[in-house]
Amino acid sequence: MPANVLPLASTVAMGSAPLLTPRLAIGLMLGSCACGLAGAGLCLAASRQGPGFGVAAAGLAAGLAWLAGQILGFSHGPLPGPIRLLLFHVIDNLAQYRAFTKLLRDQGQSITRTTGTAAENIATVMTDMDITLEALAAAVRRDGAGFNQELLVSELRRIRAPIIGILSVLQFQDVTQQQFAFLNRLSVILDEHMMRLASQLGDRGAKERVAGFKEMFEQALADCVMDSQRDDHHAASGLSTREDPGLKVELF
Amino acid sequence: MPSTILIVDDSVTILMSMEAILSKGGFTVMKSTSGEDAMTQLQKGAKPALIITDIHMGQMSGIDLIKKVRVMSGFQFTPILVVTTESQQSKRDEARAAKATGWLVKPVQPDDLMKVVKQILPKG
Repeated sequence: MPANVLPLASTVAMGSAPLLTPRLAIGLMLGSCACGLAGAGLCLAASRQGPGFGVAAAGLAAGLAWLAGQILGFSHGPLPGPIRLLLFHVIDNLAQYRAFTKLLRDQGQSITRTTGTAAENIATVMTDMDITLEALAAAVRRDGAGFNQELLVSELRRIRAPIIGILSVLQFQDVTQQQFAFLNRLSVILDEHMMRLASQLGDRGAKERVAGFKEMFEQALADCVMDSQRDDHHAASGLSTREDPGLKVELF
Repeated sequence: MPSTILIVDDSVTILMSMEAILSKGGFTVMKSTSGEDAMTQLQKGAKPALIITDIHMGQMSGIDLIKKVRVMSGFQFTPILVVTTESQQSKRDEARAAKATGWLVKPVQPDDLMKVVKQILPKG
């Protein structure tokens, strides 16, 4: 479990008192004063000698109690045990999802490495083949008297012809690598969002609000590089928008 | 004497693919796997007639490379093509503002690449 959610998880699950911070000490002091004043107010009210003082003391006690509640963050009341346990399970699951997203990233990197190595090997072999065929054609022209030189050179040219096309198709590996890099970024955005959610769970007094799903999704759109990625993003958003990819070749 | 083209890309397969296409077209090819390496080659005296660069590369992006090359003595007018998977208009505009010469989207067809290169370097 990530370290920064552990204190929250243990507090939430065990219901144990957190460490005595200055904020907690002041809150507890004010709470004690409020209790004391409330008790004194009740006594005065019951004595018939100072009902007015009793009311005043009760009012002051209520004010101090409210202030203590604000400081301690219990203005909405403490969390019941079953809710604390549920929150612990949610936090635990969020931590496990992070292991899953890391697995996805690692697999993406492994695939990129494997396809990269394969593409380089194919490119090397095809390049060597092209050079060999070119040298063979030159040798036939130079030393091929007695053979049908034109036919041989023509056949060699025909064999060489597809090699450039194969080499240009290998560019797929670079495109694939960038697509996996984009998936990596999406999983990191998701991780960060889950961490923020985990840190906010159980803290109903938190002033900082976690970025909404919409903002996270828009962040993913900003990370898109290819128009196909943006088209997929629009489709996932329920939009039928397809981007104009622009010219594939443009001279400025 | 064939013209020299410098290709800058962090993908080995892209470098091999484009080298094969351009060599077949009769050009001499130099390769760099990063913007920093390309700058080193240029500072050491390399004088390519054309530079072809990717955008998304390590520390120095292709756009940064174009800006640095443009302020180097002797390279203000060297044609620089961007070859990238990036298709955002804003990036295209950024390249144009940095004084790139043109923009090609990967994967690049051999015929498209040769057509553009021969337009830029008609004498080959």
